[in-house]
Amino acid sequence: MLDIQPHYAVAEHYDELYDGSGTPRPHYAQVAAVLGRIGREEILARVQAINTALLQRGVTFTVYADSAGTERVFPFDIIPRIITAAEWLRIERGIQQRVRALNAFLYDVYHSERILREGRIPREMVYSSKNYNREMIDVDVPRDVYIHVSGIDLIRDEQGEFLVLEDNCRTPSGISYVLENRDVLKRGFTDLFRDYAVCPVDDYPSRLLDVLRYVAPPGNSRPNVVVLTPGIYNSAYFEHTLLARRMGIDLVEARDLVVVDNSVFLKTTRGLERIDVIYRRIDDDYLDPLYFLPDSTLGVTGLMDAYRAGNVTIANAIGTGVGDDKAIYRFVPEMIRFYLDEEPVLRNVPTYDCTEPAQLQHVLNNLDKLVVKNTNASGGYGMLMGPYATVEERAAFRETVVASPRDFIAQPVVQISSSPTLVDGSMVARRVDLRPFALYGRSVDVPPAALTRVALREGSLVVNSSQGGGSKDTWVLQQ
Amino acid sequence: MLSRVADAHYWLGRNVERAETISRILDVNYTRATDLYSQRDGRSEALWRSVMQCAGFRSPAKVSANGKAATDSFGFCAFDRDNPTSIVSAVRVARTNALSIRAELTTEVWEVINVLYLHVEEQNLRSVLREGPSKFLRRVRDWMQAFAGISDATLTHGDGWNFLQVGRFIERAYMTARILEAVDVENEPWHEAQRLLEMCCASVPFAQASHHAPDARDVLSFVVLSQSFPRSLRFCTREVDAAMHRISRAPDGTFANDAERRLGRLRALFDFTPIQEMLEPGVDEFSRNLVAEYEALSADIQHTYFPRLLVTA
Repeated sequence: MLDIQPHYAVAEHYDELYDGSGTPRPHYAQVAAVLGRIGREEILARVQAINTALLQRGVTFTVYADSAGTERVFPFDIIPRIITAAEWLRIERGIQQRVRALNAFLYDVYHSERILREGRIPREMVYSSKNYNREMIDVDVPRDVYIHVSGIDLIRDEQGEFLVLEDNCRTPSGISYVLENRDVLKRGFTDLFRDYAVCPVDDYPSRLLDVLRYVAPPGNSRPNVVVLTPGIYNSAYFEHTLLARRMGIDLVEARDLVVVDNSVFLKTTRGLERIDVIYRRIDDDYLDPLYFLPDSTLGVTGLMDAYRAGNVTIANAIGTGVGDDKAIYRFVPEMIRFYLDEEPVLRNVPTYDCTEPAQLQHVLNNLDKLVVKNTNASGGYGMLMGPYATVEERAAFRETVVASPRDFIAQPVVQISSSPTLVDGSMVARRVDLRPFALYGRSVDVPPAALTRVALREGSLVVNSSQGGGSKDTWVLQQ
Repeated sequence: MLSRVADAHYWLGRNVERAETISRILDVNYTRATDLYSQRDGRSEALWRSVMQCAGFRSPAKVSANGKAATDSFGFCAFDRDNPTSIVSAVRVARTNALSIRAELTTEVWEVINVLYLHVEEQNLRSVLREGPSKFLRRVRDWMQAFAGISDATLTHGDGWNFLQVGRFIERAYMTARILEAVDVENEPWHEAQRLLEMCCASVPFAQASHHAPDARDVLSFVVLSQSFPRSLRFCTREVDAAMHRISRAPDGTFANDAERRLGRLRALFDFTPIQEMLEPGVDEFSRNLVAEYEALSADIQHTYFPRLLVTA
């Protein structure tokens, strides 16, 4: 039998498996029963086989801080995260709404600036964003779509309500783990699926390709679409290869591209071949050395000119980072009201703005109770978890915050939900988040393919892969 | 096909073949070094010196006497990361190239190379010598041959596969030429001819074709000119030529680039020149010229299909 620690569910926070009275929620009952039947030895043997398969397939990521960029398997937990149909419906609606509003915001800040003129968002907040891009002012992007692919990170608060923790509007990654996790779990634990109607995830690449073709520059009925990668040493390279392979399109590096007369071409063995759409997995700064970082060898000289001439579509659009700036985050509910005239379906986590003196003072006085985040960092870097930090760490952080308040926001620590997780052969509670992906073409499509990240360290609230996080297969149940 | 992608297929093909050939050369010589014959009069050092030469080490003065020759040479050819012709280097380069075209490969092809890479990275000279090197060498050979079979059976036979073939057969011809260069059939006809056959995996095919004990001249003729033995220079050159013409779509007997012109001349050499005439300047010079010829051919191919691209700024 599988050990379940007696102190598994302490009801301080929301638990995905047990309700407040310690009774398993109905949608988890079968998973628990099947795992109990399989037994500990057999489970561990199957887990071993899955890990070997992941390593051999090369489902790895690179840890930058590690020596020489070591490749590691992203830890995979075999106990699925289950989302009921009703929960998903709400998530889907909330994300569609949020992404539409963010996209409208991006169009607005690069055109008439209505939301700034009406004073709903302070101008300096937008202009001071490192990812606000002046080159995009008055540039019209095909079909007015900026955020073709986004990943919206959700957490569950103490009451179980899904909140938005942050938006990722540039090049969110993780979908390859969604696809691979499902594949290895189906092979290794076929018996788990028997009692559930789980929405499939494997049509994500074709849904993405639909979006990319839809936003091609007009006039070509068979647009040539490519995936642009920084190369094999990028931490998400595996994902780039997987998406290119499943979509059946070329995976290219910047050195494979050349711009001639404001059009972008591939360098092939038969000469130059024109391309129409670039799904880039590379930051704005590295796209074109003429406009951005002049010493970047990753970029394509002249790409920005081709883009502004409308001869190539870049997805996501350039300059979308102003939308997911952590200092802009707290205005997203306002965007939803302003552009859509709707109330937000998914609420934000309360957020303090360090540029306002009173709020800054409150943050500084309560560093031991708050999470402080750098507005430009991601991956769990540049962040202070107040209650868990040492006095010295807090003092050091205090200085940086005072020195550049625009670069920081603060939030109360949310005791995010926990989910049953296999650690050292026992089922224990570990904290999880949820990253659904949204595809924006004709409308906002939210495939039932979401990534659950899990903090494998006991008590940890940080789920990032670079900080000891793992992932789970996420089951969205059919109605 | 992208030039960079074509380039990676080419070097993938070459390095897979290289790892396979080096592991065979090591296996053959490790076994022969234990024979009574090889243990006399510094012959063991001479043997390992020739192995180092096959592995691209031009002045193998490094081979020490006093019984350490085998271990040193084996270490250099199998595990030396600074030696581009060592097994570990070839497997690593092959895997890096495969990774860079991961999107073009089938999962089965990728996995065979990745699994071997993961295995080789876990080994070291001591662990391999402890259990006897044959097991390790055999494993490398098995996986590399599996790579060839799986790639033939699961990849589309389009440009990428053709570039793999070009790389595979150029490397095979190149290594056969290097083996010819390293053996000493003029002074030790019987033993060296036998060793040459084994290193080219040709003992049984030669015996079947010739029906007599190895005679140096016949062995050379077989390894260079056999029409049907898949490691002969003639056979490999024809395969490279065929793959190149499938890529360029130039009709047979014509050429579309410098590489194809050079291939045509090589083919004519093997098709129409008597072996006595070829070997007139001596086996050494003949094989040295061939090594240079295949190096020039590789440069022609790169120049035609994947010229090194200037990095801007």
